[in-house]
Amino acid sequence: MKIAIMSFAHLHAVSYVRCLQALGVELTASDPDHVDRPAGEAGGPALAAELGVPYVDSYAELLEGKPDGVVVCSENAKHRELVELAAAAGAHVLCEKPIATTLADARAMIDACAASNVNLMIAYPVRFSPAFAALKGSLESGALGTPVAVTGTNNGQIPLDQRAWFVDPELAGGGSLTDHTVHVADLLDSLFDSARASSVYATTNKIMHAGKVEVETGGLVSIRYDNGVSATIDCSWSKPPSYPTWGGLTLQLVGTRGIADMDAFSQRVDGHSESTGNGVWLSYGTNSDAVLVAEFVSSIAEGRAPQPDGEVGYRTLQIVAAGYESVRTGQPVSLAPIRSET
Amino acid sequence: MSVRSGGNYTIGMVGAGGIANSHLPSWLSLGADLVVFSLEGAPELVRRHGGGSVVGSLDQLLDACDAVDVCTPTYTHAEIVCRAAAAGRQVFCEKPLARTSVDARAAIDACVQAGVQLYPGHVVRYFPEFVAMHDAVRAGAVGEVAVQRFSRTGSAPSQPWFLDETLSGGLVMDQSIHDLDFARWNAGEVATVFARQTIAPGPDVVRSCQVILTHSNGALSYVSGTWARPGTTFRTRFEVAGTNGLLQHDSRDHQPLMVDGGVVDDSGTGLLPATPFVESPYLTEIREIYTAFRGGPPPRVTAEDGYQAVRIAEAAVASLSTGRAIQLDPEEGVVR
Repeated sequence: MKIAIMSFAHLHAVSYVRCLQALGVELTASDPDHVDRPAGEAGGPALAAELGVPYVDSYAELLEGKPDGVVVCSENAKHRELVELAAAAGAHVLCEKPIATTLADARAMIDACAASNVNLMIAYPVRFSPAFAALKGSLESGALGTPVAVTGTNNGQIPLDQRAWFVDPELAGGGSLTDHTVHVADLLDSLFDSARASSVYATTNKIMHAGKVEVETGGLVSIRYDNGVSATIDCSWSKPPSYPTWGGLTLQLVGTRGIADMDAFSQRVDGHSESTGNGVWLSYGTNSDAVLVAEFVSSIAEGRAPQPDGEVGYRTLQIVAAGYESVRTGQPVSLAPIRSET
Repeated sequence: MSVRSGGNYTIGMVGAGGIANSHLPSWLSLGADLVVFSLEGAPELVRRHGGGSVVGSLDQLLDACDAVDVCTPTYTHAEIVCRAAAAGRQVFCEKPLARTSVDARAAIDACVQAGVQLYPGHVVRYFPEFVAMHDAVRAGAVGEVAVQRFSRTGSAPSQPWFLDETLSGGLVMDQSIHDLDFARWNAGEVATVFARQTIAPGPDVVRSCQVILTHSNGALSYVSGTWARPGTTFRTRFEVAGTNGLLQHDSRDHQPLMVDGGVVDDSGTGLLPATPFVESPYLTEIREIYTAFRGGPPPRVTAEDGYQAVRIAEAAVASLSTGRAIQLDPEEGVVR
């Protein structure tokens, strides 16, 4: 099994590389855009060498190696270009979230992969968290009754220090609303199975990190699903820069028979360090990235289509796009019926 | 104002339901005398708490008291406040101040004209975890407030009037109004209100509402409320994020004492929160009101705050019925 890494722009690439190495697959990488990044941002052959991954200078060369699959970790706006290259080369694709910055790009990516008969999987690792699997199991078993309402939070530090492109409206597609709505939206897509978002209201602000970035840093997104559930997602980059960890993801589901609280990153040792002058936060438990990547590799080996797929990526991006439209109009936005691809 | 001559300071409590059971012991412990009028439950109330006497009508109550504590169902608040004002009595009224903002304004106007004090019972402003958070926010601990979340979950109330939206205003007006008031106390006047609610079909009364506020200064607040199945533990949570920090609390996570008896306890704590190891916030609240009634400094919550809370909740209810975000008139936000 040969897997190629396309771009190190998103630093999740580092985690995916380590997980793929642990699986023993053959890896190559290319990160030609590293030369355009601000000074101090790791990438290119230096990062590849640090990770112990063979490096080539261009995507063309990378794809000439006939990888079975590629992992696309470019800036969000460049996902389409790289996914189309990979699909044309016959490689299955695992694409970092969000799928794209526009719905047109997302649809083109889905179509390109379908035309080449390759899988398009979107990197939503929290879906592979055991806590989420248990929550989904509780809902499906009826233990929680009928779902009534959900509050999801995906709050983190502003990802400004590691990668400047995250706050570039063109390259990222937006700020925290783009970055942090889709993970929870993906979980709801999975939990509610065939139910679809029917209306989205969002409000955002730029109070945190004002003056440093153009994009929104705070946001609340309210979604009505056609199964009657109302869900609100806090997508704010509201963890302070000195917070002892990057952030987290929580989901509270109110059902007619019970209330479930999931904290996907709750398994940790807490403490305080005099040497860092800060809280200690030692995560343990399942590395969801490893399960995600293993599913991508298994799906190729077994010749089946993995989830979450491009359609989930599209639906979650639709919620983001409707959120921005709602911010613009100040009113909730109805979602057009989802186009069926099957 | 008619002034009663002589005797101990007397509180006239109208209503003998859930909140009366929290208020009455507080008044008694502060040394006030109590007379109680209620259409039902008054003898049981005074017997349960070992203090107070029962009177047979609102007029008798007004004749016998210095101040009125309105503990009746929401839809009767404004009328009783106006009656108390006309009799020259100070008024403490359980939240919401009235069922509608029009009624709330009428109640305020009646008290202003009569020259009597009027305070709404927004007791969350007296809960120590909320006070600690608010004081820290005021002191700049999080910098400028950017995004706040408040969540309140408990068993659905058993008295039928709570579930009748025309009488109580529903979940938003009855429960979430606590957090709507607090969100405004922290982050200032509200410009826009959007709300959704889901009421589960079937025999369960389980329902959740989710309210999103955009404040005039751009800050965002999320208020979620749930009336859950019987036996659900009362729980509050908040998180306040700003330009320079983060404050959070979950009532489930900060228990000074937990005993595992090896037995599953399905009793829950119902509609009202348990407040172990701290002074009852109802006592803190009523002490401050009592002090103001007797010429001391005004309490932390004004009648105008009560009016604004009703107005925000009313906008949320309007959003529920129209599906639209509701703009609030900024002029109405100015204290009159």
